[in-house]
Amino acid sequence: MAHPNLLTPPTRIPPKTALHLSQKAPLVLSSAPTSSLPWPLSLLFSRETPETWAIHENLLLAALRTGDDASARQILDRLTTRFGANNERMIALQGIYEEALARDDKELEKIFNGYEKVLKQDPTNFSVRKRRVAVLKSLGRTADAITALTVLVENSPTDAEAWAELSELYARTGAWGQAIFCMEEVLLIMPNAWSAHAQVATLHYLSATSSIPALTLALRHFARSVELNDSYLRGYYGLKLVSKKLIPLLSESSSGSKRATDEDDVAPPKLQSVKKLEELATVKLGDIVRQYSASKPGQSGYDEAEVKAARELLDQDGRAR
Amino acid sequence: MAILGTALNAVGLVFLTHAVYSSHEHTTTFANAPLPLDITIELLVSIFVLSAGIVASSPQLKPIQWAKWGGKIAREGQHGEGRWTREGEEILSEGEPFAFLGLEGIGGNGEGRRGFWDVRAKRKEYAEWAKGGAKN
Repeated sequence: MAHPNLLTPPTRIPPKTALHLSQKAPLVLSSAPTSSLPWPLSLLFSRETPETWAIHENLLLAALRTGDDASARQILDRLTTRFGANNERMIALQGIYEEALARDDKELEKIFNGYEKVLKQDPTNFSVRKRRVAVLKSLGRTADAITALTVLVENSPTDAEAWAELSELYARTGAWGQAIFCMEEVLLIMPNAWSAHAQVATLHYLSATSSIPALTLALRHFARSVELNDSYLRGYYGLKLVSKKLIPLLSESSSGSKRATDEDDVAPPKLQSVKKLEELATVKLGDIVRQYSASKPGQSGYDEAEVKAARELLDQDGRAR
Repeated sequence: MAILGTALNAVGLVFLTHAVYSSHEHTTTFANAPLPLDITIELLVSIFVLSAGIVASSPQLKPIQWAKWGGKIAREGQHGEGRWTREGEEILSEGEPFAFLGLEGIGGNGEGRRGFWDVRAKRKEYAEWAKGGAKN
């Protein structure tokens, strides 16, 4: 993507992109989207589209991130006059604005108490409940954030975003088992999400980097992720990494005594199929790297850093042989 | 393909209009005579040309297999399709549908999970970057 876009912001926003995004503020703020005419005429002469408000919201976040608080205030006022101050989403956005302006942890605690008050009036406001968790995370109280999130997912077990966040928090504290459980909940809600499969595989891989059952599960999930997306760089990268680890482990265990794997129900894969998977991943990674270097900058959907990592993995392999 | 489609559509429409007008004129002049063969042929040909034009000018089909569809998104990424909003933002093609879950690894710095967006951390990151000379 050559130009940062406010309507569909990129999945990763480094500071430079954030600056580019927030520099669009004067342009967006220069023309009012709503008409100032009285009621029936305002419907006819309104210039707003659904995209207008998505752009305003993204611009608000970009402005807050780059410290352009004056523009942020203006955008927030526009959104408030359009949707009302009691709108669920508006309460959350207002909260984000206050959080950004909080100078120390004490002020943040005050905002936190404000969220509690809102939740006492309306406990079903999930945007604010999520903001509460975000504040706890920002204060460094990860354990409290996890507790708050477990209550949240208990009340709303189909919220994939909350499960994913809970998994991330558990993973940060090193609780791999819980993190994997939460990601499996995400998979129950979105069984076709290739990135969720890759994430489960990553967690399995990180939880135990040299045990056959964990690596087997990681291999299975990486294989599923590339089954769901036939050009998924991360999936092929993981597939190659895991199979490279599994091949020596498997050949060792098969040459030795045949160990009973009754205690865990994960049957290890056949050595031959792992080798085949590794070959497939190597071929596909090579294709992706070649395709990336042949395409013009900004034309490819792959991330530069990811392609670089894939190239390094392939080079490592070439040197070993 | 777009030019060919438009041309076929234009030609087809002209002939169809002509044929319809001719048949109308014919029926009002000779109420009981059957429609002459040339008008019938013109009608059928114009409809055929118009159908071909509509098919040719239709947008490209999306892959119907999940893996191929996902692969296409991964390979090509999001790109503009020549349409802009009023604010001057380009409307992009379909992106990764699961990006909102922010599952690009542990401790990632992505923009997923908007509900849990940590504004202070992002602000700090930006301030440090700006203090460090705003490089790359």
